[in-house]
Amino acid sequence: MSTTARPPTTDVVLRITGMTKRFGATLALDGADLALRHGTVHALIGGNGCGKSTTIKVLAGVHRADAGRIEMAGSAWSAAEYDARAGRAAGLRFVHQDLGLFPELSIAENFALDAGYPRGLAGRVSWTALHRRVAGLLDNYEIGASPATPVAALRPAQRTLVAIARALQDQESDRHLVLVLDEPTATLPQHESRLLLDAVRRRADAGQTVLMVSHRMPEVLSVSDDFTVFRDGRTVASLVAARPTEAELVAHMTGSADAARAVVRPQPASGPAADAGRGDVVLDVAGLAGGPLRGVDLQVRRGEIVGLTGLVGSGRTSLLKTVFGEHAPAGGNVRIASDRPAGDAAASVPARIAGGVAYVPEDRGGEAAFADLTVRDNLSATVVGRYWRPWGMAVRRERADAGALIRSHAIKASSTEVPFAALSGGNQQKAVLARWLRREPALLLLDEPTQGVDVMSRADIYRIVRETAERGCAVLVASSDQLELCGLCDRVLVLRDGRVAAELSGAALTADRLTALTQSTETTAGPVPAPGDR
Amino acid sequence: MSLTSTEHVDTGPADGPDAGTTPPGTAASPSSRLKGLAERNALLALLLAVIAFFAIYPESSDTFFTSSNASVLLGNQSVVALLALAVILPLVTGYFDFSLGAIAATSSVLTAGLMSFSDLSLGLAIAVGIGVGAGIGAINGVLVTRFGLNSFVTTLGMATLLGGLIQWYTGGQTILAGIDPALPRFGSATWLGLPRVVFVVLLATVALWYLLSQTPFGRSLYAIGSNPRSARLVGVRVDRSVWTTFVLAGALAGVTGVLQLARAGSATADNGTSLLFPALAAAFLGATAVVPGFFNAVGTIIGVLFVSVAVSGLTLSGASAWASPVFNGAALLVAVGLSHYLGRHRGVGTG
Repeated sequence: MSTTARPPTTDVVLRITGMTKRFGATLALDGADLALRHGTVHALIGGNGCGKSTTIKVLAGVHRADAGRIEMAGSAWSAAEYDARAGRAAGLRFVHQDLGLFPELSIAENFALDAGYPRGLAGRVSWTALHRRVAGLLDNYEIGASPATPVAALRPAQRTLVAIARALQDQESDRHLVLVLDEPTATLPQHESRLLLDAVRRRADAGQTVLMVSHRMPEVLSVSDDFTVFRDGRTVASLVAARPTEAELVAHMTGSADAARAVVRPQPASGPAADAGRGDVVLDVAGLAGGPLRGVDLQVRRGEIVGLTGLVGSGRTSLLKTVFGEHAPAGGNVRIASDRPAGDAAASVPARIAGGVAYVPEDRGGEAAFADLTVRDNLSATVVGRYWRPWGMAVRRERADAGALIRSHAIKASSTEVPFAALSGGNQQKAVLARWLRREPALLLLDEPTQGVDVMSRADIYRIVRETAERGCAVLVASSDQLELCGLCDRVLVLRDGRVAAELSGAALTADRLTALTQSTETTAGPVPAPGDR
Repeated sequence: MSLTSTEHVDTGPADGPDAGTTPPGTAASPSSRLKGLAERNALLALLLAVIAFFAIYPESSDTFFTSSNASVLLGNQSVVALLALAVILPLVTGYFDFSLGAIAATSSVLTAGLMSFSDLSLGLAIAVGIGVGAGIGAINGVLVTRFGLNSFVTTLGMATLLGGLIQWYTGGQTILAGIDPALPRFGSATWLGLPRVVFVVLLATVALWYLLSQTPFGRSLYAIGSNPRSARLVGVRVDRSVWTTFVLAGALAGVTGVLQLARAGSATADNGTSLLFPALAAAFLGATAVVPGFFNAVGTIIGVLFVSVAVSGLTLSGASAWASPVFNGAALLVAVGLSHYLGRHRGVGTG
């Protein structure tokens, strides 16, 4: 490593030294160090299983570390003494990926449920006092909404800001709080992340100390002052007031500069994959309407990877779900040409699956996972019928096949029989992908395929999708990550107002142009209706 | 995680020559395998311990461990066992059916009444009893799936409704006369030294075990129980499958009613709750055994035996009538607590 650990000495508000935590046979943290400077945004990064989540959980008092020392606000604790109450008293405030807001309640009530309602005469809730205080906070955080607005009516970035403002609401001039953001942008589309990170940056410039955990490298780079990189539970790099490149950070995370170059972003397709118009049309969508869609026309050919982008509410997810038979279209045609006959039958999910269509949904936990069933059950969910014989299920063969899939898709699992929930996010996503690819689909629909997935698993997923396309599968990828689309796709369609508004391919396909086309009718102010769908 | 050896289907027959060898890295470590083995068989071990205790305990030793007591015990518990098997069908997919006790009572009263009041033949009366059970199950299923009503409340309402209809049909009287004597004769006959009804339960257990653990349909039911939205997106016809479990459970409850009539020789105007709660207790106890964390047929039977053996031993040792419900309730609380503690309980949704 070119950069050696160089812990800062001045202005440190939080310092962790020698933190160790063991779970059974696994050493999650192995003497990790971390130092946070006052008024900075500090990024804590590393691959899945590097110990960053464990660190956050130790700070939040969810886990108790086995050894180590925590210093904060002039006090110091040994690992055994530290608990949630100590952290709170010393000024640590957490905003987790699940924001913990009540969407149906107003912003003011969300604040009050955390800090208590101001009381008036005879114990009555003093709504005027509450609204006045909350209005001040909203103003302070530049959230353009009134205290009476239900949280559900806010745009995603504003919701996160409300959660931040709520966490920091007892901050006063003489008392400095440290904000811990755990994957704040994981579920946000890119332009929402931008809004949120700009706001975080402004808070930091005004003196707020922020510790941020994130998988999205470009965002981390754009907003952070200091970086701490974990690998295998150890601090492998600590960069103070630095401007590292993405490749440098990934080199620290993987421990190898070569791996980093391949991992960072998918390289644009080359060779035989690059010539357009090869192969027959597999998916032919004409005039498709329903939900947010108002007449979508598109075609995907054999061996082609087509990207789909657009703002929240532009209908990306709706389009995929309609093609998959989950939503019934209000008008238009979806034609799927594959060597399997059921493709053109009535558009139900089982008929589409039989016709060779596969769909990896965006919401992995809610729509793809069987969390308490085994990895084997999850992998064979799409092909259970294959293992049935009149005298019972061929469990041994099923287990052998599951083991083979785990190896060929580089899924990290200790056994085929562990519960699916025991896998990390990236490995769960690879398993969901493997579940579909074993059917050798003619058309693969991917919705935000790398959301909440660490850099290394992301590289595996890109490789797998590429190989699948090279074998002749048509791939349609919906994503809000413009860089991902540019690197992975042959061409990208931009959805706007329920139609395909633009198409980019070849040299014209750049992240900047995509962003410009996506945002061109974007109104940046004011709350938007709650996005039930994308 | 130390709980790594959940074997969803571990009891399946060995594969033919097409079976691959278990690849390296897919086997659990020996210690966790041992732990899993202990966990799967804990309830069975407890059952054997209770049997051993009452066989040695002086207050009960002369009567407890006799073939006549075993025969009475198994005969009496066959009705609860059959109902418990019915109960787990909707539970596997995450739905409660509280009307199954009332469906059994309805089937029992209807089968007796059709012979007694309407002079129908035995075969026809039984067919109607079971058919009505399946029909009520189908109605429950439609209400829960098509109309999306809460299964808890819907089936509770159905149970109350059926209890009232039973009162109306029988006029509150026990139906004694006019029942074809072949039915009670079957109910008290023995085969290989065991009551014949026990073989009905055995047959139902094997059938349900096969359905739940050895067919793709059974697998899809567990998938629905785990996450209905995911199940839908891998091509499972969720509503139809859930509906089917309600129909099958209703039919099985209908059989339970006929079996109850065969055992008792008469049908009382009862609403079936006295059957339902022991059956529910057995089902939840059973979810801690064999395939821990999941409702399963074999575990359910072990659960029924555990509760009934313990209660029988207590009764023979001179415990009062209150001992049985107290033991049932306590066993249920311990079972639910245990499975929650094991961290594997999925929290059955209320549909």
